[in-house]
Amino acid sequence: MGDNAAVDDYQGLVEVADQGPEGLYEYFSERGWGDGLPLVAPTHDRVEESLSHADGDPDEPVAILSPRDGVATRRAVAVNAVLAGCRPEYLPVVLTAVRALGHQQINLRGVNATTHPVAPLSIVHGEVVDALGFNAGLGAFGPGTRANATVGRAVRLVLLHVAGARPGPGDASTQGQPSKYTYCVAENSAESPWEPYHRSVGVEAPSAVTVHCGENPHNFHDMESDRIERILDKAASAMATFGVNNACISGGEWFIGLCPEHAAVADVDGWGRADVAAYLFEHARRPASEFRAQFDRLAWADWMRAADDETLLPMTQEPGNIRVFVTGGPGKHSCVIPSWGMTRSVTLPVAG
Amino acid sequence: MATLIHRPDGPLAEGAVQLSSTTPVLSGGRIGVLDNGKPNARLLLTRAAEGLAGRIGGHLITVTGKGAGANAATACSSQVLETLSKEVELVLTGSAD
Repeated sequence: MGDNAAVDDYQGLVEVADQGPEGLYEYFSERGWGDGLPLVAPTHDRVEESLSHADGDPDEPVAILSPRDGVATRRAVAVNAVLAGCRPEYLPVVLTAVRALGHQQINLRGVNATTHPVAPLSIVHGEVVDALGFNAGLGAFGPGTRANATVGRAVRLVLLHVAGARPGPGDASTQGQPSKYTYCVAENSAESPWEPYHRSVGVEAPSAVTVHCGENPHNFHDMESDRIERILDKAASAMATFGVNNACISGGEWFIGLCPEHAAVADVDGWGRADVAAYLFEHARRPASEFRAQFDRLAWADWMRAADDETLLPMTQEPGNIRVFVTGGPGKHSCVIPSWGMTRSVTLPVAG
Repeated sequence: MATLIHRPDGPLAEGAVQLSSTTPVLSGGRIGVLDNGKPNARLLLTRAAEGLAGRIGGHLITVTGKGAGANAATACSSQVLETLSKEVELVLTGSAD
């Protein structure tokens, strides 16, 4: 593929000699673009088709993304959605996730600058899950479904290209983690005993996206219990570890992805989301002395700092930081998803 | 056949900060340390700055943190950056874990 001068600075169009898969792959690799995997050519027609599913001005910023201070316009997001392999109709979901990343409480500069492996998880809620074919069932975090795979990948490509979060100059993660390629899951509302997650946090919309910046899911399993306490004790043991940032940053959130069968046990026992969170707050604990033995510096709430060594301290400073949703299919595996710590999740209604 | 595709990176925000060019001459320069809040960063960076100052005949002028309430995960205050830009030609910062 030959040299390609920019021919339209406004829309960022460049002329390339060959848009075949191999040529595009090389073209992007040579420029430090892409995620290392093959890409779909973001031709004008494909980008316009994607943009036909958005509502506003294609060149209106939806977010400014650190550390590059890149402007995530609808067009720029659409380009990356095409590259990722998204169907055009996925664009509003990607735009919503990118809009969330621009919120101050996400602290995207920190998310990208840290040596921690943090990646933004996009959790899709509501009508759009079925309408666009997201997999909220068996293997929800895994491969095989275009919507999950490409929406998560599009978010990562926006971070790489628009935010400049390339390993090294823009992303200091010591080891990275697999979810930095793609990290998108859907809430299984059909098999959840509770109202959709987004409504529980006050977002009254048919569909929504939550972005939580955290680690990969940490599995816990319980194949035999018919009491929710016994199941949640496994979750609590997975949470009460010193290896996660939540151990030394008490403001960090936890996302708890319960499988439908575990959630059903909670429902039979008459437990709501808040009950699950309260139980984990009370049972995912370690003595203050153990935390102090492990860390020289603790970004803790004042009441935790003041606790004596024998006090059992929680893995986050308040139960409201433990957020519960249902995802996955048959079986008895659930997960906890720790936070990077200096970040708060954002839930927004899906909008183009 | 040639075709048009879109660049993936999009425009930069107005006022986006670019890295400044490297100081061409360090000899006799004024050096500062910006503690980024990582463990032992202040000690490490100060020692490095002292060593550098000794080698180039420069002076370690200031050692500072990012500002009130800041930590390793938050940005440096504009006030601190402004002060540093006036007081020194070179800042050592950014120790990792």
